[in-house]
Amino acid sequence: MDPKSNILNDFLEDSVLLDESQYQEGFKDGYKDGLVSGKEEGREVGLNTGFQVGEELGFYQGCVDVWNSAMQIDPDAFTSRVRKNIAQLKTLIDSFPLLEPENENVQEMMDSIRLKFRVVCANLRVKLEYEGQPSSLNKDSEDM
Amino acid sequence: MELLDSSVDLQEVQKLEGHADRVWGLAWNPAPHNCGGASAMLASCSGDKTLRIWQMGPTHHLDCSTILEDTHTRTVRSCAWSPCGKFLATASFDSTTAIWKYVGGDFECVATLEGHENEVKSVTWSSSGTFLATCSRDKTVWIWEVQPGDEYDCVAVLQGHSQDVKMVQWHPLVDVLVSVSYDNSIKVWAEDGDSDDWHCVQTLNEGSSGHTSTVWSVAFNSSGDRMVTSSDDLTLKIWDTSSAISQTDTEGFASWRHICTLSGYHGRTIFSAHWSSEGVIASGAGDDALCLFVEEKGNSVEEPSYRLLLKKEKAHDMDINSVRWNPKDQRILASASDDGTIKIWELREIS
Repeated sequence: MDPKSNILNDFLEDSVLLDESQYQEGFKDGYKDGLVSGKEEGREVGLNTGFQVGEELGFYQGCVDVWNSAMQIDPDAFTSRVRKNIAQLKTLIDSFPLLEPENENVQEMMDSIRLKFRVVCANLRVKLEYEGQPSSLNKDSEDM
Repeated sequence: MELLDSSVDLQEVQKLEGHADRVWGLAWNPAPHNCGGASAMLASCSGDKTLRIWQMGPTHHLDCSTILEDTHTRTVRSCAWSPCGKFLATASFDSTTAIWKYVGGDFECVATLEGHENEVKSVTWSSSGTFLATCSRDKTVWIWEVQPGDEYDCVAVLQGHSQDVKMVQWHPLVDVLVSVSYDNSIKVWAEDGDSDDWHCVQTLNEGSSGHTSTVWSVAFNSSGDRMVTSSDDLTLKIWDTSSAISQTDTEGFASWRHICTLSGYHGRTIFSAHWSSEGVIASGAGDDALCLFVEEKGNSVEEPSYRLLLKKEKAHDMDINSVRWNPKDQRILASASDDGTIKIWELREIS
């Protein structure tokens, strides 16, 4: 054990340790701030997406409610085929996993709802469209 | 006289001009006598957004008698006559299908079928006259049921294709539907019982000796026991569909199977194929050529085979989009092209 080299090591150690501790402190501060900002951003995206999904589903639910009300007033208002289609649409809406945004089937389920809605409209001979979202229509059209 | 035994030629007998853009589809009226007594009536649809009706007068020439315009807002891609000949359905890129009715010498648009998300590619009328089917780039096939009072109800939306559906065609005898797609497959659809429960009873893809690229068209022979499909893979395939006639329900649907592949006759995508009531298959392709094929008779033991009867190079100046035999005159063929013209051909035997 060389007392001289010990002193040298200790001397260097302090600067190295200082560098380390500064990094650690900076990292802790950055992480804390990032967490806050990330949560904020996530919250905003969640709010927007949730709003969009909710608004579209609400639109379809609203239409189903009106149609069901019409059928209560006049049970013969619609053909049995249309009644069946509306019931199927209601089932699809009811089974949509609203509280599971990470569910991998949500896109497929929303597409099924949109399709069933179009069938009901076709058979009611009405032109109803949910305007709130850019539709699943591709912008570029193929000319073949 | 058997066609196989003689030498034949395909003679151009008339060129129909008038469309301002490529002609996409053709349809001969199966019962023209129900529409004013013409001996022949041909409908053509075009990128110019119109439909033209051509009628044969006493001169045996087809003249344009009607132009149906100002209804579709985009290309009219396909047209089909009802079995009674009084209704014409037109499918358009504007995502709608219009139904026209022959009323007192003219055609009136009596219904518009909406539902597809984007371009409708094909429309077909069932031989029973009960159903219509349409297909679209939105990958779905819609089945419509004819109701009294010129009304049409959507009874089913068939999902299954993973890409653009190019054409739909009903079987000539039973209510079985075939669809072909950009996803390279051919799908067969049938109803289970009577409850709007349509589902896919068979898929013919690469694994079933099917096509290896986009399938563009499908056509049955008049007896419904054979089907021909044409594709971007440069082949025509013939299928045995005889089980469709003996089937009464979808429970034990006996599979359709591949019989024969015709390759090496066209150098470009084969866009259309059609079977005459005499059994001659006509094909039109992106190589501007028309080919005719017949079944090779004789070998009753082996698998049926087909041979080229003749090839007409440069039948048109550009891609041929549709070929259709006249159901009332089995030697007359019509072809439609990107060059904006329709040509009428006569298959003649030469001594």
